[in-house]
Amino acid sequence: MSTVLSPEERTGTPPSAVREARPRRAGRRGQLVACATLLAPFTALLVAVFLVPVGYAVYLSLFSEDHTGLGFGGGTTVFTGLRSYLAVLGDPSFRSGFGVIALYCLIFVPAVVVGALALALLLDSGLVRLRRTAQMMLYLPHAVPGIIAAVIWLYLYTPGLSPVIRLFAAADVHIDFLGLHTVLPAIVNIALWSGLGYNMVIFYAALQALPREVIEAARIDGAGGLRTALLVKVPIIRGTVVMVCVFALIGALQLFTEPTLMNQATPMVNSRYAPNMYIYDAAFRRNNYGLASAASVILLIVTCALSYAVTRWTGRKERSPR
Amino acid sequence: MSGRLAAALIVTVTLLLAGCSSSDGSDTAGSGPVHLTFWSALRGTQEVVDEYNRGQNKIRVDYQQVPSGPQGGWAKLSNAARAGNAPDVATMEYPQLPGYAIDGVPRDLTDLLPDSVRRKFMPQALDLTTLDGRIYAVPVDIEPMMFFYRKDVLTKYGIQVPRTWAEFETAARELKKADPGSRLASFFTNGSQHLAGFAWQAGAQWFRAVGDTWHIGMADAPTRKVAAYWQHLVDQDLVRVEPVDSQQWRAHLQSGETVGYMAGAWAAGSLMKSTPDGKGKWAIAPLPQWDPAKPSLGTQGGSTFAVTKDSQHPEEALEFITWMVTSPDALRAKLSSGVSSAYPAVPALVPVARKEMDTSYYSGQDIFGLFQESAALISPRWQWGPRMTSTITSVEDGFAKAGAGSGTVIGALREGERRTLPDLKSLGLSVTTK
Repeated sequence: MSTVLSPEERTGTPPSAVREARPRRAGRRGQLVACATLLAPFTALLVAVFLVPVGYAVYLSLFSEDHTGLGFGGGTTVFTGLRSYLAVLGDPSFRSGFGVIALYCLIFVPAVVVGALALALLLDSGLVRLRRTAQMMLYLPHAVPGIIAAVIWLYLYTPGLSPVIRLFAAADVHIDFLGLHTVLPAIVNIALWSGLGYNMVIFYAALQALPREVIEAARIDGAGGLRTALLVKVPIIRGTVVMVCVFALIGALQLFTEPTLMNQATPMVNSRYAPNMYIYDAAFRRNNYGLASAASVILLIVTCALSYAVTRWTGRKERSPR
Repeated sequence: MSGRLAAALIVTVTLLLAGCSSSDGSDTAGSGPVHLTFWSALRGTQEVVDEYNRGQNKIRVDYQQVPSGPQGGWAKLSNAARAGNAPDVATMEYPQLPGYAIDGVPRDLTDLLPDSVRRKFMPQALDLTTLDGRIYAVPVDIEPMMFFYRKDVLTKYGIQVPRTWAEFETAARELKKADPGSRLASFFTNGSQHLAGFAWQAGAQWFRAVGDTWHIGMADAPTRKVAAYWQHLVDQDLVRVEPVDSQQWRAHLQSGETVGYMAGAWAAGSLMKSTPDGKGKWAIAPLPQWDPAKPSLGTQGGSTFAVTKDSQHPEEALEFITWMVTSPDALRAKLSSGVSSAYPAVPALVPVARKEMDTSYYSGQDIFGLFQESAALISPRWQWGPRMTSTITSVEDGFAKAGAGSGTVIGALREGERRTLPDLKSLGLSVTTK
């Protein structure tokens, strides 16, 4: 148990724990028990739904079906080392999935951050009436499960079904949402629709926590609404902006629901469009669990490395004197 | 986040489906009949099973209709086999058979299938189910590619039925000139198996098992010739570019805007069902040839029956299969369920099919006689690859893009090959692209 806990302790608890442990030696035991009790549910879940599956995936990626020669008649499960990893990394369709993700991020992350921030600032500025209702309406799409949202949007994208396309066609504008170059923006649009309100709430909460005297000072110094928003409010909540970026990035790497559904409707989204779809395809269409596990482990490493890099990089920037 | 959830859901549902389908067919105790479970997506199977169960009381077959392969049938069988509860008898299409054999789903039938039965099959059909010298499945039907066309339209414009691919291009050009709104045929964006059939005809060998090594060449010289030919037809707008079996494609056939298409012999029956208004207008011709002096053909479609490794009663299962594919009674029962023009892999059954089939739709044309002539031309050189489902999907992704103006037919085939290799290597297969 303790070995499992140690990374948690290293990142979060040590400073306070060490500081408080010294003066009260008698209560130390009780404190440890309390700590263990409070951390137990989280640890149990972490082990059950994260560490064990990851361990199993690593195992599956290293021990997989091995065949000899032509391979007929079934294989045997043996230690195959990094063979599955090399196969995944050598697969152009796996690598192209990351290309898709990169492009997706390039459109999605700025759009969701700017959009959500703008909405939050607008709500915070007090210009909007019915603030609560507006907030509610904006948040509502996030309450719709991703798969339902994708189905609804697919309906709006499908020629012959979609009232939107029919409306445009009536005005002699012909659009194909599921075409070669429009399908990625169409996917981003779905994610934006459901993510905007959610991220807006995060920004809004951060803005609400701003010290009012700073805003007041800015106003007294003669800054207008726009200036206060951009030069005072946004820099203060920079940490939140970074957090939203990291979440958006991780979310993007896990892209699955929308393109999987689109895959049924248009050949422009292939069955290995995103890394997660590649994994699904490898496991359930190619019956290659070794390949699927290796791809999953690689995706996990990339996700961890990327979020670490982003937080680290922005953290350093924050600390360095201006 | 929602992506992960959906993935988990789909996985759970898939596993549940596989779990639910576990059957109780392996009770050996007692002296009652042996129970066999049988999965198939082929139409008319219920009638065949009923006929079998009526005719004897030694074996009881419990039939379960499963979704067709792309609709989940393939995954269902794979998952069941993985979980150790596959049915005794299952249907596998020719292209998927090597993949299943690699996964160890079908049982090696070589020692169970007597010579007397083997001799009944067309050698080309049995070749396709013989992998590395071992027989893994029993052929049901073998489907030579044919050319289906609107006789009335071609006659109206005085266009000859093409016998060669060169004539085919000329005919396509003439038709477009006579009626700019119609096309002679379609390039199927989801038709990599059709293209495989064309390549097969031209002498291509996408997959070859030589010794212990898979030789893969999806862009070999004959394939390049075929791909360039279709690319040319597409570029010149001489054929329609659309998915086969799509609404769009059917609508064009019904309205007469598309006046022909190529497919396996089985398609004769499905055309009768899907386009009843075409009665008396459609006819069937042999597929055009590259060189009429050296005629050759490929197939499109066709299925096999396999006994699974999980089966507790392989002898009985094979007995049932043998009855299904060789007995005239079985064929009659199958035909009683409706129209089927599937060409039996057992030539002795062809007269039965010929007699039962009402060909008034094709103005009384002797279509089974035609199929028979074509079937004799099926080239024995073809072999399907180890992971065809995935290869086919990859190629079709490329075709769809080529159809939308990005990429080429041959590029799609090359990409299909590239996407197949990592999979095979990770399975430990010995593979070369030389």
